[in-house]
Amino acid sequence: MRRFRAAFEDFGELIFFAGEVLAWTFRPPFRLGLVIGQMAAIGVGSVMIVGVTGTFTGMVLALQTYYAMRQLGAEGLVGGSVAIALARELSPVLTALMIVGRSGSAITTELGTMRVTEQIDAMETMAVNPVQYLVVPRVLASIVMFPLLTMLFDVLGYAGGYAMGVGVSGIPAGPFIEHTRTFVEHKDIFSGLVKALFFGGVVAVITCFRGYNARGGARGVGEGTTSAVVMSSIAILIVDYLITLVTVGS
Amino acid sequence: MIEVVDLWKSFGENQVLKGINCTVEKGTTFVVLGGSGSGKTVLMKHVIGLLHPDRGHVTVNGIDMSAITGQELTQARQLFGMVFQGAALFDSMTVFENVAFPLVEKRRQMTADEVRARVVEKLRVVDLGEEVLPRWPAELSGGMRKRVALARALVTDPQVVLYDEPTTGLDPITTDSVDGMIDAAKEKLGVTSMVISHDIASAFKVADKLAVLYDGHIAAQGTPEEVRHSDDPFVRKFLSYWFKKQ
Repeated sequence: MRRFRAAFEDFGELIFFAGEVLAWTFRPPFRLGLVIGQMAAIGVGSVMIVGVTGTFTGMVLALQTYYAMRQLGAEGLVGGSVAIALARELSPVLTALMIVGRSGSAITTELGTMRVTEQIDAMETMAVNPVQYLVVPRVLASIVMFPLLTMLFDVLGYAGGYAMGVGVSGIPAGPFIEHTRTFVEHKDIFSGLVKALFFGGVVAVITCFRGYNARGGARGVGEGTTSAVVMSSIAILIVDYLITLVTVGS
Repeated sequence: MIEVVDLWKSFGENQVLKGINCTVEKGTTFVVLGGSGSGKTVLMKHVIGLLHPDRGHVTVNGIDMSAITGQELTQARQLFGMVFQGAALFDSMTVFENVAFPLVEKRRQMTADEVRARVVEKLRVVDLGEEVLPRWPAELSGGMRKRVALARALVTDPQVVLYDEPTTGLDPITTDSVDGMIDAAKEKLGVTSMVISHDIASAFKVADKLAVLYDGHIAAQGTPEEVRHSDDPFVRKFLSYWFKKQ
């Protein structure tokens, strides 16, 4: 019962923290330089891992779909199937999970270390609000970079699928591309990017929250980082379900 | 001037401060001496408004730090500089960026040349030259980190400087130089200083007045001489560890 209550309190504090972040986002001074710096750290630094994951996911997806479609004599549908699976689900979810592992954990560790070494307190005593200076740029950068990296995942995933389907499995290029055009609509790509945008906000708030409230030295930072990665990963799947429910329902 | 009046604070079941009263006169150094867990840091965090009391209040130059929040508190904090126990330098910034940070963030009208000149000036107060400007905190010794932290605390010309355990973990020579640096800040810049410490030698060296904190209340306070001759049993025992060695 006590753990249940603590979890509710924790969730309440997270919501309050998110509200604080939102309020500070619209108050001057606006530190564009810090946002760009975080976009580089969170986004540019994740290009390689997202690119590799995207390419191989597309290849595996094409291979699996090819074996299934071949039974039905519908190999031409592989391109469309791969593209729609990537655009709607796999790209935003896998991109987000990859960034959580790489950049989300780094955010929690960095802020947690700053907390336990009193750097955040020091900032506060210098009349600089730490939420505005440290958290807002990370949240804004994530909201921008998650969709951009999802687009990269989309493109490289489809390229991987094309290479596997057309180059290795011998599916004719014409039907592969033509079925992609028939199956995939703009709204499929758009819904994936909207998901990525929400994932960016949710992941950044959770990872910053865990770091910002870390306690108890190196052990506390470690526990905060583990908790941030677990919470973010679960949150991605829950938010994914909720957005899918709304977009498919409408 | 800092006035602490009947200050009470607890964390859950743990009653940390039990009715603290003390006054720090303008331009003097006041040391709060006490063992680990006596509530020294909690007291200091109330002074700068990082914590709010359960009862009582703290006024700094007439501003009630326990009654203000938000923008008012942010504004009031510009009266202060604070030197943290572990220096709390931003490790992703160079020495120059650390010391310049409060100016860059809060004095946006200053030009880059003015900021640099001010940074160099404050580093000189703590006996550091321009050669340290491009260095990272990780490349500095413990004593140098403390000096940079003080330069950062002084860079906005605060009226009050708070020191949290400034000599903890330092060798005797570095401790002596940190004591000298606290005196220099008072003599050269006329700041009011409040020092939290368990270092008896250092406390008696820099204090104009001092208070001994024990179990959440002040066991003795006054000039170093007055405290040294206090009748309080804890104070006598606490001080005897050091004075017997002399």
